Amino acid sequence: MSEITAKPFDMNDIFNTLNLGVCVVNANGEVLLWNDWIAKHSHIKEADALNRPLDQVFPEPVSPAFLSALKNTLTYRLPVVLSTALHRTPLPLYNVFGTDQQPDRMYQSITITPIQSQLDESCCLIQVTDSSTSIKREKMLRSHSEILKKEATTDGLTDICNRRFFDAHYEMTVADAKRQKHPLSIFMVDIDFFKSYNDYYGHIAGDDVIKQVAAALKSQLSRATDIVARYGGEEFVLVMPHLPQEIACQFAEKLRSAVFNLAIPHIKSQPLKQVTISVGACTGIPENDDNLLNKADTALYQAKLKGRNQCISLPLCETEEYLEQ
Amino acid sequence: MNNLSALHLDALGEVFSIGAGRAALSLSEIVGDEVSISVPSVQVINSKDINSATLSLNDGRFGAVTQHFSGPFNAEAVLLFTEDQALKIVRDMMGSQMSLEELAEFEHEAMCELGNIILNACLSAMADIFSFTLESSLPSYTVASADEILYRLKKNSNQPYVMVLHIDLAIENRHTTGNLVFLLSSASLTELVTHVDQFLGKIS
Repeated sequence: MSEITAKPFDMNDIFNTLNLGVCVVNANGEVLLWNDWIAKHSHIKEADALNRPLDQVFPEPVSPAFLSALKNTLTYRLPVVLSTALHRTPLPLYNVFGTDQQPDRMYQSITITPIQSQLDESCCLIQVTDSSTSIKREKMLRSHSEILKKEATTDGLTDICNRRFFDAHYEMTVADAKRQKHPLSIFMVDIDFFKSYNDYYGHIAGDDVIKQVAAALKSQLSRATDIVARYGGEEFVLVMPHLPQEIACQFAEKLRSAVFNLAIPHIKSQPLKQVTISVGACTGIPENDDNLLNKADTALYQAKLKGRNQCISLPLCETEEYLEQ
Repeated sequence: MNNLSALHLDALGEVFSIGAGRAALSLSEIVGDEVSISVPSVQVINSKDINSATLSLNDGRFGAVTQHFSGPFNAEAVLLFTEDQALKIVRDMMGSQMSLEELAEFEHEAMCELGNIILNACLSAMADIFSFTLESSLPSYTVASADEILYRLKKNSNQPYVMVLHIDLAIENRHTTGNLVFLLSSASLTELVTHVDQFLGKIS
C-alpha cells in the first residue's frame, strides 16, 4: 500500500479517468474493481457492483462466450481476447448519447488477463474498449476511398468515364471477348470542326458542347455492360460487347443522329451550320493481336474524309469484309 | 538430432488433439455451427532445417497469430494460415449480422481471437495433461510473406528447435489447413520431453 500512496497520483483517480472500462474479478468471479467508465456505460454504480458476482451485477444477461472466456482465464491463467467482429456487444454497456427509448448498445473489444492480487489470490483484469468510434472511422475511410476511386475514374468536365478507366476497361473487355469468343464493338467519336467552334465561340462555350455531346452519347446506352468514356479533348469512345455487326452499324447511326438532334448552332461548320460528329466503329471477335481500337480509329478517319457527320463501320476481320462485299 | 521418440510424438499428438477438440467446441459456440479441428501430425525439427515445404508455405501472404508463453518451459507459439483462407474463415464466422465484413481492422482483431482460441486450447490441454501452469502474453496478429516467416523462425539462435503441428480446420462447409509452430530452446525442449516422459510413465 505504501508504495501506491507514495506516488504523486492516486491510482484510483487514474483508473477512474481512463477512457476504457477496467474491472477486476477474483477467482469466484466477484467484482473487486469497477472504474467510472464501466459505471457510466452500464449505469451501475461502483457500490452496487463491488463484491457481487459479475454475471449478476448486470440486469441483463452477459453473453455466454464472455462467461466461458472468463472461466477459462480463471482456470488456466491464459489471456483471452474477444473481438468486436465475432461478439459485437458481450456486456450490456451502452453509449452515453443513446436515447432513453432506444438505448444504443456499445460495440466492444474485450481483453481478459490473469493477475495476482496482493493477497496472492488469482484474479482477472477485464479491459473493455468502445469499438463504435473505430467502426465509424473505418466506415468513413472506406466511403472516402470509394469517393476517391470514383473521382479517379471519372472525367471532371463531362462526368462520364475518363481515359484512365477506359484503358483498364478496354483491356479487360478485350480479354473477356477473346476468352469467351464473343463479339465486341468499339465506337470512336469526334466532334466535327471543334477547333473552329472553340476559336469562334470561346472555350467556355466549347466545354459546354463537350458536355452536351457526352450526355447525348451516354443517353443512348441502356445496358450495364456498355460504357462511354472521354478519350481525349473532343474525342469519345464507346465499348459495347455482344452486338452483331449490323446492329453495331445501326447504333453508330443512332449516336450520330442523337448529336445532330441537339441542333447546336455552329456557324463555322459548313454546310450544316450546326454541331455534328463523325463515328468510326469496329466490331468483331478479337483474336491474338487484333486491334479493335486502331480499326475503329481508321473507320473514324474514313468518316472524316468522306465529309464528316457520318458513320463508317468496319469489321475486325478482313476476310469478313471481303465476304460482305 | 533431438531426443524425441515416435512414442513422444504420439503422446504430443494426443495432447494437441484434445486441445484441438476444445478449440473446436469454443469456435462452434461462437459461430453456432459445427466446427471440427484435427491435428494430423506433429514433428520436431531443427530450426535450420525448416523450409517452405515443412510448413507447406506457398507464394501467398500469411496471417500469423503469435503468443509468447512461459512456465516449466518457454516458447513462442505462432499459428499460421494463408491470409486468403484466414479471411474467409473469419468472414464466415462473422456472418452477416453486422456489415463489418469488409472492415480490415475488425478482420485482424477477429483473426487474433481465432488464433487465441486455438493457441489457448492447446496450451490448456498441455497444462491439464502434464499438470503444470503456463503463462502467456496477449496474442498479436501480423501478415507476412513465406520468406519473412522463415526468416523470423530461423533468426533466433536461442530457440534452435521447432515443433510443427499441422492443423485441419473445418467450419461449416469451408475446409482449411494451417500450422501451429512452437519455437523452443534446447532447455525448453528437454523440459517438455521430461514432462512427456512423466506422463508416459503414469499411463504405462
